[in-house]
Amino acid sequence: MPVIDLPALIDRAVSEIGEVLLGKEQTVRQALCCLLTSGHLLLEDLPGMGKTTLAHALADVLGLSYARVQFTSDLLPSDILGVSVFNRDQEAFQFRPGPIFNQLLLADEINRATPRTQSALLEAMAEQQVSIDGASRPLPELFFVIATQNPMHQSGTYALPESQLDRFLMRLSLGYPHFEAERELLQRGALPTKAVINRTMTSQQLLAMRAVIHETALSDSLLRYIQRLTAFTREAPEFAVGLSPRGALALVGAAKTWAQMEGRDYVTPDDVQAVLAPVIAHRLIPSADYAGDGEALVALLRSQVDVIPD
Amino acid sequence: MISGEQLPRRSLLWLIACQIAVMLPHLERVPLWVVMIYLATALWRLQMFRQRAEMPNKWLRLLLGIAGATLLFISYGTFVGLEPMVALLLVAAALKILESIRERDGYLLVFLGFFICVTHFIFIQTLPATLYTVCCTGLLVTALITLNQNPSGGISNREPALAIKMLTLAVPMMVVLFFLFPRIGPIWSVPSSSGQGKTGMSDFLRPGAVTKLGRSADVAFRAGFSDVIPANSALYWRGLVLSKFDEGAWRTLQWRELPVSERQGVPPEVFGDPLQYRVLLEPTQQRWLYGIAYAKSPTAGVYEASDYRLGVVNPVEFQFGYDVTSWPASVLQPNLSDWRRRVETEFPKGINPLTEVWVRDLRRQYSNDRDFVGALLNYFRTQPFFYTLEPPEILSSDFVDQFIFNSRRGFCEHFAYSFVAMLRMVGIPARIVAGYQGGEVNPLNNTVVVRQFDAHAWAEVWMDGEGWIRVDPTAAVSPSRIEFGLEAALEGASGFLSDSIISAYRFRGIRVLNWMRLRYDALAFGWQSFIVSFDSARQIELLRGWFGEIKVSWFVTLLLGSWAAILLPLMLWLSRERSVQRLLPEERRFVDLCSRLEQRGLHRPFGEAPLRTLRRVREHLPEGDPLYGALEDAVANLYAKASKP
Repeated sequence: MPVIDLPALIDRAVSEIGEVLLGKEQTVRQALCCLLTSGHLLLEDLPGMGKTTLAHALADVLGLSYARVQFTSDLLPSDILGVSVFNRDQEAFQFRPGPIFNQLLLADEINRATPRTQSALLEAMAEQQVSIDGASRPLPELFFVIATQNPMHQSGTYALPESQLDRFLMRLSLGYPHFEAERELLQRGALPTKAVINRTMTSQQLLAMRAVIHETALSDSLLRYIQRLTAFTREAPEFAVGLSPRGALALVGAAKTWAQMEGRDYVTPDDVQAVLAPVIAHRLIPSADYAGDGEALVALLRSQVDVIPD
Repeated sequence: MISGEQLPRRSLLWLIACQIAVMLPHLERVPLWVVMIYLATALWRLQMFRQRAEMPNKWLRLLLGIAGATLLFISYGTFVGLEPMVALLLVAAALKILESIRERDGYLLVFLGFFICVTHFIFIQTLPATLYTVCCTGLLVTALITLNQNPSGGISNREPALAIKMLTLAVPMMVVLFFLFPRIGPIWSVPSSSGQGKTGMSDFLRPGAVTKLGRSADVAFRAGFSDVIPANSALYWRGLVLSKFDEGAWRTLQWRELPVSERQGVPPEVFGDPLQYRVLLEPTQQRWLYGIAYAKSPTAGVYEASDYRLGVVNPVEFQFGYDVTSWPASVLQPNLSDWRRRVETEFPKGINPLTEVWVRDLRRQYSNDRDFVGALLNYFRTQPFFYTLEPPEILSSDFVDQFIFNSRRGFCEHFAYSFVAMLRMVGIPARIVAGYQGGEVNPLNNTVVVRQFDAHAWAEVWMDGEGWIRVDPTAAVSPSRIEFGLEAALEGASGFLSDSIISAYRFRGIRVLNWMRLRYDALAFGWQSFIVSFDSARQIELLRGWFGEIKVSWFVTLLLGSWAAILLPLMLWLSRERSVQRLLPEERRFVDLCSRLEQRGLHRPFGEAPLRTLRRVREHLPEGDPLYGALEDAVANLYAKASKP
């Protein structure tokens, strides 16, 4: 296996994306971390904050084949998965693959589609294959979904249920740009991503990186830290539902990637804390008498669980 | 029905196991049908558990209860007494299994179980019994734990493990309570042992009585010597003095038969080196004790009778330990009172005419008492007398005639009987002494283990100026009995130990087994003499030895203080263990370094990740500060080593 300089590759990717998405380095890193961990990404923000720009930039920089589907309320599952059509010349049905057979699918405004269509996509995400007309068709080895959604209280949306939110490794928000970044943006105007962004890595490199990440060391102390975190979400009264084992696994996976991105081959609590909010905030449900949301719960968690038990 | 109140299904299995376990030791003292009730109710309850049977209705249950009590009354004839009471308790517990539906029934069964465990100790306090009770306690605690845990889930080993841990944690407390808790005597008394269980010697001697004991290897008593153990031939454990011949049997003189002047024995002048030992007597249900003459005991409750035997006021119902000092060289009763002389020479005339004629002839040849005794012994020695465990039965009243001239085959009591009778016929004061002779020496703890087959009867003859001297006619017939014990004397003859087929004693030819047997016996002796016989007198003696004079207020303080001293650290330890997890060694190192940072005014905020701490600290520490390096190492140490899957 060729030696991969993972941090350098990531740094290059981050700076490439930085060309179009100004002043969002931390979020970009987190998004890359999510994709390197083979997880799907949910971008949640108000319209016009650069969600689609980030998704495009990620696809370009990773050099993945990609398709974009704009979700609307009349979108059908076959619009995503594909459909069999009758070919007169061959006198047989022929499968015409949908946009999901790309390495990266950008599901724009996922919460505007009906639950039926949402679940068609999410099933494919969980199983990495689709079943159409009784035949299972595998999806590419590298398969990512980046979904964007508007905050749920906007009209004309169908909120994703918790079980489906859980399929996303991370949920990120971009937020308003910094003052400086916004001024630069206003000065030069929005740039088309294709023109600016260069591909920085190959699919082989991506796969090699995954292998490297898999080898990252986890110490007893760190596992115990993660266990204390999960235990807290399960026991504290502020949480209606605690973190599932899948959530805890996602946390470990993302922390491993973060450690490698930082140039370390072992995970420390710093890595866990860096990915904690994006990985678990959307999985936590506050109990009925707790005023805060998922983010507030993460803050509570961090203020209550130390890296070393006392 | 609220489900929380229901008896958890898996608790039921534990509860039934407990009930059967606590009942088992009582098998030997309750009627068999009590056990049957146990098995039947357990089975019925299990069928209910499997939804195959209905719970009997209220009337049937009531009927069963009444039937149980009635059966008990029929079996025992009374409700008064320990055995009927225990049996009643067992029947009640067995029937309770049947109607245990709710959680509180489960608790009741557990506490009944504890109580039944304790009743076991009324009857037996040996080491194996104690170990068994500890096991039962473990089972009961397990059942209690299952009652308190999530009712779902199957049988796992987590509950027993927790029970073992809990009991282990209770051990220090148990030790403190054992030594310090005031021992209060019984507040009430229950008539015990309805007639049965009188083992060993009886207080009258008829030919054939001792012979029976030769078949049993049960331990009669153990004697732990503080110094050298005398030779086997000197170990004559005197128990009963049989001075009165009544209707074909020899018996002891009862206290009311003694004239007032004779009731108080005159202690003999002691000389020679005394023997010091402690005797641990197995329960006999009798009032006499054993010792080597002349024996004196400082133990409270032991009295000395006028014929120099040791006795207690109440029958020995439990193992009883007493200290003895013996002066074997002492002269017993050098002066014989007229009354005593008359009593000790009494023997009905005319029932053994042949012997009477013969001894009178012999007496003419040997006018000296000592020579006459010698001549009689010589007669036993030279004529074809046989020592056997299976003598022919002599039923006619002329026992002595029959034995001396006819059968000539007998066990020790036959020889002692005839010997004493012959001496009394010529007016020499003589009497039979019953007890044990010899015993097995256990070198591991310097004790002599005396078993039932060591039972023996011999004679005491009074000689002018020498007092009562011990004469053993059996020794004349079979010297090896006295020197090497009964087994050697019988040399494989049938009858020996025929009642103790599986006794470990039979297997002492195998060296390892024999060592184990002796080891176990030593352990049992230690258990009995240090644990079981630790009563309030010994407790006070021990505490005096440790702390000097004892005041009540001070004693209470000590008791409560020691509880605190044990429970507080235990509590702390437990609460520490419960606080999520204990620190790993690497974590401990990191925490130590953080507290050193604290001393330098560098505080690590709660929840701060270590690398962030490192980065922050670097700015505040001087270049090359060893503390920074140590911290860096500690962090790497903490996280770089992958956990083993």
